[in-house]
Amino acid sequence: MGVLAEVPSFESVVERHLDDVHGYLVYLTRDRAVAEDLTAETFERALRHWRRFDPRRGSARTWLLNLARSTALDHFRAEERRRRRESAYALERREHEDGVFGGLSPALERALAELSAGEREVIALRVLLDLDGEAAARVLGISVTACSTRLSRALKKLEERMSADVAA
Amino acid sequence: MSQPELLEQIRATRLPASPELRGRVLALASAVPAAPPRRRWPARRTALVLVPAAVVIAVVGALVAGLADSGRKRSVESAQAPRPLARDAATTQEKTHGAAAESVPASAGRAQRYESELTLKVASLSSATKRALQLTRSYRGYVRSVDYGSGTARGSADLVVRVPVGRVQAALVSFSALGEIVAQHTSIEDVQPAVDRRFRQLQAIRDRIAKLQAQLEDPALASDARRTLENRLVAERRRLVVLRRVQAALLRQVSLATVSLSLRSAAPAVAAPRRPGRIERALDRSGSILVGELQVAVYVLIVGAPLLVLLALVLAAARTWRRSAEARLLSR
Repeated sequence: MGVLAEVPSFESVVERHLDDVHGYLVYLTRDRAVAEDLTAETFERALRHWRRFDPRRGSARTWLLNLARSTALDHFRAEERRRRRESAYALERREHEDGVFGGLSPALERALAELSAGEREVIALRVLLDLDGEAAARVLGISVTACSTRLSRALKKLEERMSADVAA
Repeated sequence: MSQPELLEQIRATRLPASPELRGRVLALASAVPAAPPRRRWPARRTALVLVPAAVVIAVVGALVAGLADSGRKRSVESAQAPRPLARDAATTQEKTHGAAAESVPASAGRAQRYESELTLKVASLSSATKRALQLTRSYRGYVRSVDYGSGTARGSADLVVRVPVGRVQAALVSFSALGEIVAQHTSIEDVQPAVDRRFRQLQAIRDRIAKLQAQLEDPALASDARRTLENRLVAERRRLVVLRRVQAALLRQVSLATVSLSLRSAAPAVAAPRRPGRIERALDRSGSILVGELQVAVYVLIVGAPLLVLLALVLAAARTWRRSAEARLLSR
């Protein structure tokens, strides 16, 4: 029973990690409204699958971020299908709204928005949420080395975009 | 802006969920009581428990089966064990050896050529040979040939005896008691059709002779015709005599069965293998069962390995495809 006693209640997990999941999804989607919907959907899934959570295999935060990523990928797939149906992908690309990433300088906001979802994702996990390399790699489903490489490239790209913005 | 400054700025930001979202999710969490997480056994730990458990079950099962079989095997062995050779006289052997030759009886009332070959392993070649000769005489038979050779480590005697068919079964039983039967072969050829055919021929000849004799008794018979009939009568009588001899020879031949006895002296005394004890038999049996289990496991592994490799390849391909699809989605 020792193992079961270590499992936190679902309510406490929600309280503790809701902001993390939300922040991660904002970075991934660049859209607060979509991120809110996906956050709610993630916790719905978490509630359904709560019996599957095993604290020995990872923290609740990592498990929730995994679910959030899976939810976001499902959303992207659905979006892609929809765009393909409507054949208007080019027109559908939204312009970036300032303030999505919350309190960043406008230049950094724009630079972040120009990164790909995958690049923003690794920045969110490693920098914003301060996950260690192993946990972030587990969420991304890649090796720790690949995760570090991805982060390094994303930050370099971000720096380049910022420099270009300042120069312009 | 340098990279550390960028990181600091990003870390400093907070993206709290809106109160509406927090309320939505908390309401969700409180509305439906979440079932407590299930206690799960990780696959590796399960394998760590299941594999040794399977091995222990296999070994214990083999030991139990071996122990159970070892008791049963003893009774089977005792039933199948060859009877030991008697060391002394053939008379003693007759009493000791109950394993009589399975003689095939000749059909009563039918003429049959009966031949039997019997190979026996005997303790004393000399005694057994003498006793075989005595037995042949006691059954009113005779010895056609004897080939006796001894002095070597494994002497042998080959006897061909003839015994009345009516007593051949009893004779074979007695012969088989001289030692341990190594080989036996019996052949019976039914010659009754030939005997019957010859009998009918004899009867026909007799009829013809009687007819010729009746014709010759006629006083009005012309001399030429009489001479012809007399010649025919003589020829028929000759044929009758020859046919009678052939028939008698055949009947005489089938009235006696031919028995070829091959007596072999037992090999030089070899220490009889020690009968293993129950524990030894149980261990031996358990070993056999374990080897069988191992064979089955290897077979399953050989048959299942390609399927497992195929499954692993399919899973790896699916994973690669899924990752590339995800990377494509996240590259925008």
